[in-house]
Amino acid sequence: MDFTFTEEQVMLRDAMSRLLGQHYDFDQRQQIVHSSAGRSERVWRQFRDMGLLHAPFPEAVGGFGGKASDLVLLAELLGEHLVVEPYLPSILLTGRALARVDGHAGALGWLERLMEGSALGALAHEEGHGTADITRIATELIPTDDGLLLNGEKRLVLGGTDADVLLVTARLPDGALAMLLVDPTLRGVGMECYSTIDGRRAANIRFENVRLAPDALIQSNADKAIQDIVHDALLALSAEAVGAMAALLTASVQYAGTRKQFGVPISSFQAIAHRLADMKLAYVKARSTLFYTAALIESGRAEPRDYSLLKAQAGRLGRAIAESAVQIHGGVGTTDEVSVGHHLKRILAIEAMFGPSEYHLRLVGASSVSAASAAPRREAMEA
Amino acid sequence: MHIDFSDELQAFRREVGEFLDAAPTAAIREAGKKTTSVFAPFKEVMEWHRILHAKGWSAPAWPVEHGGTGWSVEQRYIFAEEHWKRDLPPLLPNGLQMVGPLIMELGTEEQKRRYLPGILSGEDYWTQGYSEPNAGSDLASLACSAVSDGDDYVINGQKIWTTLAHEANRMFMLVRTSREARKQAGITFLLLDRMDYPGMVVRPIVGLDGLVEQCEVFFDNVRVPKSGRVGAENDGWSVAKQLLKHERGGTALSPMLRRKMTLIQQAVRSAPSPNGGVLADDPVFQRDLGEIEAELVSYEAYERMILTNHPIGSDPGMPSLNKIMSTELTQQLGALQVRVAGLWAVPSQVNALTVASGIDPIGDMFDLTAMPFYLNARATSIYAGTNEIQRDLLARTLHAA
Ligand SMILES: Cc1cc2nc3c(=O)[nH]c(=O)nc-3n(C[C@H](O)[C@H](O)[C@H](O)COP(=O)(O)OP(=O)(O)OC[C@H]3O[C@@H](n4cnc5c(N)ncnc54)[C@H](O)[C@@H]3O)c2cc1C
Repeated sequence: MDFTFTEEQVMLRDAMSRLLGQHYDFDQRQQIVHSSAGRSERVWRQFRDMGLLHAPFPEAVGGFGGKASDLVLLAELLGEHLVVEPYLPSILLTGRALARVDGHAGALGWLERLMEGSALGALAHEEGHGTADITRIATELIPTDDGLLLNGEKRLVLGGTDADVLLVTARLPDGALAMLLVDPTLRGVGMECYSTIDGRRAANIRFENVRLAPDALIQSNADKAIQDIVHDALLALSAEAVGAMAALLTASVQYAGTRKQFGVPISSFQAIAHRLADMKLAYVKARSTLFYTAALIESGRAEPRDYSLLKAQAGRLGRAIAESAVQIHGGVGTTDEVSVGHHLKRILAIEAMFGPSEYHLRLVGASSVSAASAAPRREAMEA
Repeated sequence: MHIDFSDELQAFRREVGEFLDAAPTAAIREAGKKTTSVFAPFKEVMEWHRILHAKGWSAPAWPVEHGGTGWSVEQRYIFAEEHWKRDLPPLLPNGLQMVGPLIMELGTEEQKRRYLPGILSGEDYWTQGYSEPNAGSDLASLACSAVSDGDDYVINGQKIWTTLAHEANRMFMLVRTSREARKQAGITFLLLDRMDYPGMVVRPIVGLDGLVEQCEVFFDNVRVPKSGRVGAENDGWSVAKQLLKHERGGTALSPMLRRKMTLIQQAVRSAPSPNGGVLADDPVFQRDLGEIEAELVSYEAYERMILTNHPIGSDPGMPSLNKIMSTELTQQLGALQVRVAGLWAVPSQVNALTVASGIDPIGDMFDLTAMPFYLNARATSIYAGTNEIQRDLLARTLHAA
């Protein structure tokens, strides 16, 4: 058993942490959010130069490893610093999915461009109010004489507004799932672009009789491939939430120690001290679960319920910490001017994506019941 | 014991309903649907205030001699229910529920003549200037100073969290007039008849929901007439305590919360569950909805007992009990609405939320308002005495008994 990062990982984390400390403090972040592009080309180049665009991929495709613990350490920092650059959609979701596709020249070509930073990708997967359960994908892909026809609507496609390529999940007429690459400028692709509460650019994308060449289909029978993407998303989003929790806890401890009312720091009031203690409890639970889940994944032992359990803890505990942080900050916490509210909004967005806590908790419960009934009843046998 | 309203009140309910169906303009209706705070969109809610005033209904809780309706407690409850059922914007509290009743009680005849008509009619909007950057929960430590100079006070300092100060034309405020005795004993209560005195600067603050509701107000040698003082110099703390009684009583909150619950119940009939089907049929969701419904009924019960003068409502802990219960329920309902909206709560839609923007929301009105309501509701456990302070006060009443 070992739940620690390797020496190389620690070096990478320290370097990224320094970079974000210099170029992504809260004020700089707010400037980037309010800029017309809503992201920073400069920071993206710095990410590239530092190797961050290569880091979460297996060595076989030119990456640095791409283990679960790599995702965890990168995403924790993204969460802590409220990074709005399209790292999650382009690198962690689209890029890693492409890296798992076997022998498709188009997919590999795009992967190279994403890793070089010369193109951006986005994952168009969720539909309706959210698609945690991949069996509910309704977007239709119909093979035709000369290619494919795509119909459906995807929601909250992060980075969809300026993606060069979309990775789309869809269902074939026989019910099997498929993964395809779609050029967003094609006829029949309609985008409704917007900013999100957590400072990102996203789009709802409608596909109306979009005609695609046969090689747009990068994988049929893609159930496992899509589930792998969802698992990456659950791990990365949970790690981001844990990073946000760390920032919320630090900010609250610091604020409570310096804010004075009635002549004393508010941290000296038991109501506040216990709130801080509860925040620490929640943080330690969530972070332990995060590292534990990463170790399960790296040992090849992670089941779907383990990802669900992690996402549920990150969402629930994250919201509890964030709401407490706002409360401790008093009126200041209800403004756009300090970071705690932005962390709260990020955690709420994470909670809404890829299934809310209640959905995941139900899966965990169902799976532990079936695990219990499958296991031999030892007490009964010993008796 | 019984819970029915008498038959005559059914006729009253119809009369109210007919008026509320006919009187609001389209913009007022839109503003009501887009209200995600205690404070409805300013322009439209003040327009609605003036329409209600023309009908004689702007101040149900005021005495008849000052322009009140003379309605019974039940009638006022019915009015609130009918008002909320139609999603109309609730009239702003500062004048009608706070400074108005205070002026009636403690103001001079001149102040009553001068200020009550404008509060009643909706010509004036009063912002509340108590809190300061360093005087929040510990309000009595406020430092914004007023120095006596002939018939005037000269004010220097700063206020913060002055809700809607950027829209207000008047302000009631607390200032420090003495530093000699106990900190509570050097505070004076002032009515400012203008917000544009030379030296007064208002800076809006953007909230978590992206909207401007709060402000800071800076005073640099601002000269105001002493005739605006309520009570004696250095006696402002007891004046403010008197006002607090009005702030915390008189209006029914549960019709607002019930309306929110109804909107959620309607939405879940079509909102998809992540488990398949619609949320209304999802047992996990039903259980959670059930918990909040139970909490809501308990609060409705409690509030009705307060309003009907049941002994349970005369407990000294009542203001704190009421504040904590109603705000925690508001927050729970907000979280539930966000959960129902799912991914559709994530777009930031400040423009679509603006009345008369003509911008269609992504999703429907329910999705549009979910996140702003949730975020705005975070403030309910902070303003009007934080819920930590309220629990302290409540605990103290237990030992005093
Ligand atoms: C939306 C909104 C509208 C408002 N409107 C107005 C207005 O119109 N006019 C106006 O004058 N003010 C207004 N306020 C200000 C409000 O009254 C203050 O925010 C409130 O009194 C808390 O003060 P603070 O923000 O300085 O927090 P602080 O007092 O600094 O409190 C920070 C944290 O410490 C806790 N704390 C403080 N003291 C204690 C204690 N003794 N024991 C335990 N915990 C404690 C608090 O509960 C809170 O969690 C408004 C505030 C908000 C958020």
